Amino acid sequence: MSGIRQSGNSTVWSLLLFATLALFAVTLYAIFIVAPVEQQMGIVQKIFYFHVPSAYAMYIGFGVSAVGSAVYLLKRDARWDAVAVAGAEVGTLFCLIVLLTGPLWARKAWGVWWTWDPRLTTTLLAGMIFAAYLALRSMGDAGEVEKRFAAGLALFGLVDLPLIHYSVQRWRGVHPTVITGKGGGLESEMYWALGLSFIAFTGLAALLIWARASVERQREESARLRLELMHR
Amino acid sequence: MRALIAALVLGCTMLIPPMAFAESPPEPETVDSEALEGAAEERATQFVGVEGPDAESIPGGALMLAAYAIVWALLFLFLMRMRGLQRQTAEELERLSAEIRASGDR
Repeated sequence: MSGIRQSGNSTVWSLLLFATLALFAVTLYAIFIVAPVEQQMGIVQKIFYFHVPSAYAMYIGFGVSAVGSAVYLLKRDARWDAVAVAGAEVGTLFCLIVLLTGPLWARKAWGVWWTWDPRLTTTLLAGMIFAAYLALRSMGDAGEVEKRFAAGLALFGLVDLPLIHYSVQRWRGVHPTVITGKGGGLESEMYWALGLSFIAFTGLAALLIWARASVERQREESARLRLELMHR
Repeated sequence: MRALIAALVLGCTMLIPPMAFAESPPEPETVDSEALEGAAEERATQFVGVEGPDAESIPGGALMLAAYAIVWALLFLFLMRMRGLQRQTAEELERLSAEIRASGDR
């Protein structure tokens, strides 16, 4: 039964991988061939098509980590702890992408690499919270106390996610608001490119979380076997 | 220990862009009376037009290429790290299973 489930999982995994890769190819075509160059900023605006979906993938990663942590705290099931670790790692990866690609766009658009805008600052804060989570989890084989403390940290990080999202609307800042309803919006080809990129990044985040959680479960199994060997 | 160092390096990496890129507003120049008198002596007596670009030119194409290169490079590094972790864990699982089997046979 487990073998059948594993084989089914492998098929779903392969299909998702193929679909994501194909979608990335179409997305790149839409970004560089179909979507027009922005009138004021020029070609540098095309960073937007990977920057915004990366931020969205960051929300997915951190959200999955927080959900995994909450369920782990309730059920004490190691599988959910593995999901939480995977979400935190993938979320941090995308957070790093956001924090590195954003300044490259800002240099051209704002004339500065970084400014302490509310959205930028809250995104950096989320990255630091989950970097602390990963630092805590990397201290050898985490015991029950470390796991619970890390789960609490992930839930604390979750509080920051709505702050990032609504900071643009609630507080004065310089971050653009083209897709949050306050700006003038995008041209239809730009919407298409962005929409495809959102789907591709969702697939990528799901694949990475899935793969990383699987490795983390194997690590848990290895820690369990080590303990079993010690008690023999 | 290596993983802890890696996590700390990751945390520091996140701090680097804001620290490195943050720019403080230029300090207002203090003007004293002597400098004003000197300036009056050295005031311009002619206006000459500039040659070449008169504004800072920021290469948008290079910035865009750098951004896309960063995305692919980080994804590649993440996949390589995950592959290494997976291989290491699989080897350890195999070793531990063999040890448990051996201890059971005894």
